[in-house]
Amino acid sequence: MLDIYFVQQIINGLSIGLVYALMAIGFTLIFGVLNVVNFAHGEVYTVGAFVGLLLITWVAPPLLVVVLAALAVGAVTGVGLERIAFKPFRRFRDEASLRSRAMREATLLSSLAASIVAREVMTLVFGAHMQTIPQAYLLQRPIAIGPLSITNGDVVIFGASLAMLAALQFMLFRTRIGLSIRAVSNSPMGARFVGIDTDRAIIATFAIGSMLGAAAGILVGLYDGTITPQMGFAPGIKAFVAMVMGGLSSIPGAVICALILGVAESVTTDFLASGWKDLVAYAFLIVTLVFFPQGIFGVGRERA
Amino acid sequence: MALKRLGAIVAMAVAVVAGAASAQTKQIVLGYELPLSGDSAHYGEAFRNAAEIGLADFKAAGGLPGADIVIRYEDSKNDAREARNIAQMFADDKSIIGVLGDFSSTVSMAAAEIYAKSGVPQLSQTASHPDFVKISKWQFRNITTQSYEGPFNAEWMREKGHTKVAVVAIQNDWGLSAASSFADAFKAKGGAISSIEYFNPGTRDFRSILTKINRTKPDAIYLCMFYEEGASFLQQRQQLNVAAAVFGASSLYNDQLIALAGPAVDGLMLSSNFVPTNPDPKVQAFVNAYNTKYGAIPNQFAAQAYDAVGIMLTALKKTGVNATRDSLRDALAQTKDYPGITGQTTFDPETREPVKTVVRMMVSNGKFSVVP
Repeated sequence: MLDIYFVQQIINGLSIGLVYALMAIGFTLIFGVLNVVNFAHGEVYTVGAFVGLLLITWVAPPLLVVVLAALAVGAVTGVGLERIAFKPFRRFRDEASLRSRAMREATLLSSLAASIVAREVMTLVFGAHMQTIPQAYLLQRPIAIGPLSITNGDVVIFGASLAMLAALQFMLFRTRIGLSIRAVSNSPMGARFVGIDTDRAIIATFAIGSMLGAAAGILVGLYDGTITPQMGFAPGIKAFVAMVMGGLSSIPGAVICALILGVAESVTTDFLASGWKDLVAYAFLIVTLVFFPQGIFGVGRERA
Repeated sequence: MALKRLGAIVAMAVAVVAGAASAQTKQIVLGYELPLSGDSAHYGEAFRNAAEIGLADFKAAGGLPGADIVIRYEDSKNDAREARNIAQMFADDKSIIGVLGDFSSTVSMAAAEIYAKSGVPQLSQTASHPDFVKISKWQFRNITTQSYEGPFNAEWMREKGHTKVAVVAIQNDWGLSAASSFADAFKAKGGAISSIEYFNPGTRDFRSILTKINRTKPDAIYLCMFYEEGASFLQQRQQLNVAAAVFGASSLYNDQLIALAGPAVDGLMLSSNFVPTNPDPKVQAFVNAYNTKYGAIPNQFAAQAYDAVGIMLTALKKTGVNATRDSLRDALAQTKDYPGITGQTTFDPETREPVKTVVRMMVSNGKFSVVP
């Protein structure tokens, strides 16, 4: 049973899961604060990948510079996205609007609209086909460990996930802006009552979440060798599932659930067929929602 | 006075003749449904580019006297529902007498039901599912089906001495038919199929499938997929060090495959019906026209669209200015030895299946080359 191929499948699964995790981190951060799904996160991820690719084709800097550039562009994109799709719905400051579910759900659609527009604009500019990536930048060099095989991309993505998690935890729990983000996340109205600049906290959240999203985009693009305007969609859905399973606002929970999803997919491919893997991922989601409505790692929280 | 009146009569007569002449330039519209947005947009772009060249070439060669032919493009997004809406719109528009497209078999077949019901001739450049032309007498295609290509490749693999083959195919109508036509033929020729693995469209991670295949140690792998998936598959095959030889269907044939996956593609063997380096003057004329106008070397998808448009226009020329949907269909059905850039094409009078020629190709040192 525990043959070498099965171990390889677990490794394959963990590396798929890491890709989802990388995206889920930024996604969950934004959800945790605003309590709305940012459907455009997948496009921020794609923008990060394209900017990184343009830089690689024009300047060919070291990978670290590419990632830093993606982080910067991600921050700008995040702030812009907030401005276009989210801020207009925070015009009204009265209690009824702040508590209004309709107001919150409207941003769900506005972020979806922003994502469709961004995706189609990128398709018009770059074309729908897969972009050519210089071979030297691909994170696909095999590293053999006995009969098993991983790639340098697995190592890079694992390292990036760890670094992102650590930096986020530091930022949230050790800095002032982190404190105000947590306050807004806990109770937007309460935060406003005690004098926190909630707009600033929300913009900061978008900037940070989108930085992580954009960096994830270029890393995963180089790892998969796939940079297209559509690349953000499928991992976006999986990151969403991981976030819901993990309890909506728990970032470590989302990461763990992303890994579970990845392993579930590759084990399903092994025992059933590749065509079934999404079904298994979504079955996990349903089971979680039925038995753990708060998510596996979620804590009860007032959702007004 | 009399002279003046005569002048007026002459002027009137001239006006009448001129009016009659302009009434004779009748507009004939062909509909073309194809994906121009969404993740298959680059295929649709290639079709439209090729169709524009095809129409321009037809007009340059004399066109259809007395008629102005227009192609109307509609974006189906490679989505069956969109395609059905477009099909209904084309069918309701009496000025449209023939339709080209759609791209994938699934979408083309969804639209085909409407064309069959309304009696509009439909010619797809790429729908290669065996059932497509069986829908009604109104369906035609300009692509060899997998029931021809599968056995062709199976024969080739048997000649190379492969006995145990794993098949990896995209899970859609085309992929299912490609995998089963190949597998049936390979088994009939005495080989064994170790497994058939289907994956969902959009999959980019094939390591799980590769690991699973590798467990059964096949001599070769047969790919029924497009070049994007092919690039990921071949890169990950190299990464996991899977030794089996790789063969593929013509859908993989695209220079982008080599640009994307680099040295991982070396050794891939595949079939194709269009090679842009073919010295045939017709092929070179098209490749040059396409390259001048769009700055790219056309792939076989563009070539199939160019020929599809050519076949349609040739049929239209045969029916003349007063072409109707019925007469155009009959003329299409009589297509014989159309000298296209994807080989000579004849529609079988019984089944309406195209009869075309396919060649064997191999990738070596980062180049596709024809193997004898």
